[in-house]
Amino acid sequence: MAFEPREDQKELKYDELRIYSDEELNNYTEEELKNFKVKHDISMLEDLESGPWPSFIADAKRGALHRRKLADDRMLIERDVIEDMLGQLQISFKDGETHWKHGGIVGVFGYGGGVIGRYSDLPDKFPSIAHFHTMRVNQPASKFYHTDYLRSLCDLWEYRGSGMMNMHGSTGDIIFLGTFTEQLEPIFYDLTHILQQDLGGSGSNLRTPSCCIGRARCEWSCIDTQDMCYELTHYYQDELHRPAFPYKFKFKFDGCPNCCVASIARADMSYIGTWRDEIRIDQEAVKAYMGGEIAPNGGAHKGRDWGPFDIQKEVIDLCPTKCMWLEDGKLMIDNKECTRCMHCINVMPRALRPGEDTGVSILFGAKAPILEGAQMSLLTIPFMKCEPPYDNIKENVIEPLWDWWMEEGKNRERLGELIQRQGVSKLLEVLNIPPMPQMVKEPRSNPYIFWKEEDVPGGWKRKIEDYRARHAR
Amino acid sequence: MEDIKKAILDFAENSKKTKFYFSDMEKAVHKVLPDAKTRMIKKAATALINEEKLIYFSTGSSTMYGLKGRGQTEDH
Repeated sequence: MAFEPREDQKELKYDELRIYSDEELNNYTEEELKNFKVKHDISMLEDLESGPWPSFIADAKRGALHRRKLADDRMLIERDVIEDMLGQLQISFKDGETHWKHGGIVGVFGYGGGVIGRYSDLPDKFPSIAHFHTMRVNQPASKFYHTDYLRSLCDLWEYRGSGMMNMHGSTGDIIFLGTFTEQLEPIFYDLTHILQQDLGGSGSNLRTPSCCIGRARCEWSCIDTQDMCYELTHYYQDELHRPAFPYKFKFKFDGCPNCCVASIARADMSYIGTWRDEIRIDQEAVKAYMGGEIAPNGGAHKGRDWGPFDIQKEVIDLCPTKCMWLEDGKLMIDNKECTRCMHCINVMPRALRPGEDTGVSILFGAKAPILEGAQMSLLTIPFMKCEPPYDNIKENVIEPLWDWWMEEGKNRERLGELIQRQGVSKLLEVLNIPPMPQMVKEPRSNPYIFWKEEDVPGGWKRKIEDYRARHAR
Repeated sequence: MEDIKKAILDFAENSKKTKFYFSDMEKAVHKVLPDAKTRMIKKAATALINEEKLIYFSTGSSTMYGLKGRGQTEDH
C-alpha cells in the first residue's frame, strides 16, 4: 500500500538545513586523536577502551576533540560538554555512585513528554553539564530515513546540544543526550516546524510506537506494520504527549511471529502479524531443499560445512507441536496444531510461506524487570483482522483496556502488573472475550478462570450458604 | 469543564504534596464532581497546562502535575 501522509509534507531542502560543512565535521586527524588528552582525569574510563568491544569512551573522545576544534560561534552550548561528562563519569566510577540528578519541570510548552530533565550535582566542578537534558525524537516507522535527514538532525544537535546521541533508545527513539534548558524550545521549533519531526514519548504517556521493517522489505509480514504504527501514532497524539496514564504504555508492531522488534517481551500491547488459514507449501521447492538445490535458511550459516540438509532432523523433528510429517515425499502440516514458531518457514523460505488470510494476534502485559521481574506478554486475542483505519482495534481493544487501567491501575503500575493483580479473567471481562483453554496453564494455578453463573448454560442450583455450612472457608 | 478546572486548582493549591499524580487529581475531582469523566478531567488538566496554571513534572519514567509557582518551580 502506498504511503499516504495524514497531512501535506513539504519537501525538505537539505542544502539549506545543513549547518556544518564536511571540513568542519572532519576537523581532526587520527594523529591528533592519538595525542588528544581530555582535560579531566579519565583513567578508569580509558580502561574500557582496552576491551574487545567498541567503546563509547572512544566515540566520546572523538566528539570532544571535534568540539574543541570547532569555531566559537559554531555551537550554542559549551564546547567542553563532552569532556565534563567524561570527567564526572570518572568520579562516579571512583565513588561508585551517580552524580546525575534526574527529573524536573523542564519540557517544551504543552508537552508532558519527550524531554527528560537531568542535572549534574557537581555543577561547580563541571559547569558545562550543569544542565544535561535528554530529548527523545520520534523515529520514523521502521527507522527508515534519508541520510540527509540524519545529517540535518545531527547538525541541529551539534549546534544546540552536546552532539552525543543514542541511535536508538530501547523504545526506538533517536535520543539526544545533553543540552541546556534554554535550547529546548528552539530545538523543538526546528524539529517540528522545519524538519517536520515530532518528539517521542516519555513519562506516564503512550511511548513512541515502534514497528519492524514490515512489508517494506519482508515477504513474511502479515500486516502493514508501518501503516499501523503511523496511524496509531497520529490517532493517539494526545496520549503520546499529555500524560494521564498510571505509568508508561508501549505499543509495538511485529509483522510476523519472528517478532523482530521483540514486541512479545517489551510491549504492554504487542501486535504480531499472523494468519488463520494454512501455511502455503510449494512441494517442488521442498524437494529442491531436500535435494540440496536450494540452500536452507536463505543461505545463512554458510561459514561451516553442516553436511547435507536433512529435513527430518532440521525441520520436522524440531517442530514444537510435532505437526509436520513427510508422506510420499510430500511435506504435510496439520495446520490447526501450528503455534507459529516460524522455524520451518525460516529454514525453507522458498518452500513455505505464511497463509493468505492474515491479521494480527494481540498480546498484553510484557515489561522489563522493574517491580515484579520481567514478564512476557499474554496471548489474549489469537486472531483479529487488521485493516486501516483499525477502528475495530481502537474501539474494541485499546480504549476499553486504557479505561480499565486508568481506573484501576495504581501509580507506577504497568498493565502486566494490573493483569497479575486483578487476574486474567478480569482482563477478559474488560475486553469482552471468552476464556480459552489455552489461557489456563493448569487448574488452580494462575491464570485460572472462575466461571460466573451467567456464563454457565442453565446457571447452577447450589446455594453457597449450604456449601459453606459444611466447608469452612 | 470550568467546574472541573476549579476543582483541580483547589486541589493543586491545597494538597499536602506540591506534585501529584493524575490519579490523585482525578480522585480529588471525583470528591467534588462524582460524575466527571476521566477524559474530561484530562482535557481540563491540559487546558490548565496551556493556560500556564499547572505544570508537568517528569522524572523521565513517570509524570506528575503541580501548581505553577508552588513547590519546585525553577530549573533545579
